[in-house]
Amino acid sequence: MSPAGVELFLVGLSHKSAPVAVRERVALSGDVLKEALVRLQASDGVREAMVVSTCNRVEVYVYADRLEHGRRFFLERAEQAEGHLYERSGREAIRHLFRVASSLDSMVVGEPQILGQVKEAYGIASSAAAAGSFFSRLCNHAFAAAKRVRSETDIAKGAGSVSQVAVELVEKIFGDLKGRAVLLVGAGKMGALSAKALRALGADRILVTNRSPERARALAAEVAGQAEPWETLTSLLALADVVIVSTGAANYVVTRELATQVMKARRQRSVCFIDLAVPRNVDPALGELSNVYAYDIDDLQKVVTQTHQARAEEAIRAEALIEAEVMAFSRERETRAALPVLAALRRRAEEIARAEAERTLAHVGERLDDKGKRSVEAMAQAIVNKLLHGPTARLKEAAASGDSDLPGAAAELFGVEVEHNERARPEGETRGPAPLEQNR
Amino acid sequence: MSIQVLRIAAVLYALAATFYVLYFARPRHARLATAGQWLLSGGFLVHAAAIGLGCKEYGGMEFFSLRGGLVTIAWLAAGAYLVLQRLYRIPTVGAFIMPLILVVLGPALFLTNPNLPETLPETVRRPVLTLHIVSALLGVAIFALAYVVAIMYLLQEREVKGKHFGALFSRLPSLDSLDQLNQRLVRAGFVVFTVALVLGAMVARHVWKTAWEWDPQQVSSLVIWSLYGAMVQLRHTGWHGRRYAFLTIAGFVLVIGSMVTLNVIPGATRHGGSFQ
Repeated sequence: MSPAGVELFLVGLSHKSAPVAVRERVALSGDVLKEALVRLQASDGVREAMVVSTCNRVEVYVYADRLEHGRRFFLERAEQAEGHLYERSGREAIRHLFRVASSLDSMVVGEPQILGQVKEAYGIASSAAAAGSFFSRLCNHAFAAAKRVRSETDIAKGAGSVSQVAVELVEKIFGDLKGRAVLLVGAGKMGALSAKALRALGADRILVTNRSPERARALAAEVAGQAEPWETLTSLLALADVVIVSTGAANYVVTRELATQVMKARRQRSVCFIDLAVPRNVDPALGELSNVYAYDIDDLQKVVTQTHQARAEEAIRAEALIEAEVMAFSRERETRAALPVLAALRRRAEEIARAEAERTLAHVGERLDDKGKRSVEAMAQAIVNKLLHGPTARLKEAAASGDSDLPGAAAELFGVEVEHNERARPEGETRGPAPLEQNR
Repeated sequence: MSIQVLRIAAVLYALAATFYVLYFARPRHARLATAGQWLLSGGFLVHAAAIGLGCKEYGGMEFFSLRGGLVTIAWLAAGAYLVLQRLYRIPTVGAFIMPLILVVLGPALFLTNPNLPETLPETVRRPVLTLHIVSALLGVAIFALAYVVAIMYLLQEREVKGKHFGALFSRLPSLDSLDQLNQRLVRAGFVVFTVALVLGAMVARHVWKTAWEWDPQQVSSLVIWSLYGAMVQLRHTGWHGRRYAFLTIAGFVLVIGSMVTLNVIPGATRHGGSFQ
């Protein structure tokens, strides 16, 4: 607990605690979020506030005297939130934020978006003047921790979803897709997702075909492709380098015979079939043909499962990293809390030393040369240093080990008055939005 | 003297190989590849010095022995890989080419040149001969690189086709880039080898008094030349991928096999060290 009794509190709900019906009722963004932040921060006892709101979680972080502010935020919006809320305070809340930013609390562990979303949340809070120097330090530390987790563990490695696996596969076959064509057969949702993901590899030509021309056109509009009539399937296959198949057909749409014929037409240029349909639409025997690469949904799903297992193992290493970062942050913070007491103590002692030295010099000053006068001053200073050496070291140590009672006790024992603004704002110098990356 | 320097070069190559292999195992540490490249460059320079010293020691005669040929091929392959690395940035190839260079260089580190002729007969002392030797060895060095790339292709193809998306899958380059690289190397090697063949015929006409006389060396070179020529041609008809990789590997096995066989069997060919 920091000297002024202000602490970080977190109240939130996420995909782990609440169904989407509840999450969507409390989620908020943009100006509505800013307004809510301003109101939250204006309430009595709240120093700073930040809200992380994504489709998977809504979390209210307050730097305040008690937790109730966070709870009220939810209950005002939706009464059914009660029962889905989780609450954390102090170090637990800090750890939670670090874990969220590092994507350890995400639905797909290791997914890359969440860090950006937390950064955005901090940006909004800071532009609404709800986040000040405490959140500046906290968030910068959280971002640095997330960066460490990403670079020092393999938590973000591998393909976390079916469309990512498809992209990875295609990349290992073709390198990039510049100047190549992608053909979408059928109107499955996953097919559209994969086609969109393939754009990242430079696929500039996406062809769409479907038994129903209207659906082909609709899908083509969705993926920014070009609809082609179903009757031209054979010639389309001769043209496309990546074929994503997801029709509702009960039998093979691409048979081995068709593929052999197509390969002849495309002069054996490599082709990759990705069959997302159940039951399968592409004859698995296609894989036996040379320069034909064929995968079905099970193949891709297997990779996704492997990735998730590997990430779960990496998550253990990441948790240890997070723990170390949380410790480092708390220690830094508590050292800061002890500093005002130390400063006041030293100021007080030096005042006394200076006054005493002056008094002595007023008596005997005439009989001393310059060197002698300096010796008297030096002696006074030396006594101060020697006397304060022990308490200083002890206070810093206490602060570092998390003992926050000692600074207050020291202030009382030595009778020093910690200046009000120092005591009230142990965390920092200025209020208001602080620039990112300031403290790291 | 030159053999000591050559051993230093080999140590640098071995270190480079170690770093490239470590990089292959831990691709996140790009510095490993950089270290490998520096060591390889250093090894290349020391190797050059060793070859220069060898020239002084044996009066240039060592290029007429198998040992001299292998030493030079290893050196040219190292140089060719350094050029390739500048052009395409493919540090993963290092983990495969460096062991091959070490294997080619290995025997030369412990053998000295056995009974080389004292001097070159006046009749063969011609710049065409030097060019013939250099181009022939450079051709072989480029085929060696193509061989390594073809092996990488087959490894990656097995991963991709076999739906086994493990460590090799994520570390090896894409099939398309390996296939393209293989094709370029085969083409470049073929051009250089053609030059070597023509120059060789010119030398033969001068020394043997006839450009073509069905010497086993000439025959095997012709077979090799036709094979690589066919590969360059087949590319235009759509040949690529797995079959192409197999041909590349067969080609290089043929090159090294004939080179060793013809040099080891005494009197098999009039090419090389004997100038009768």
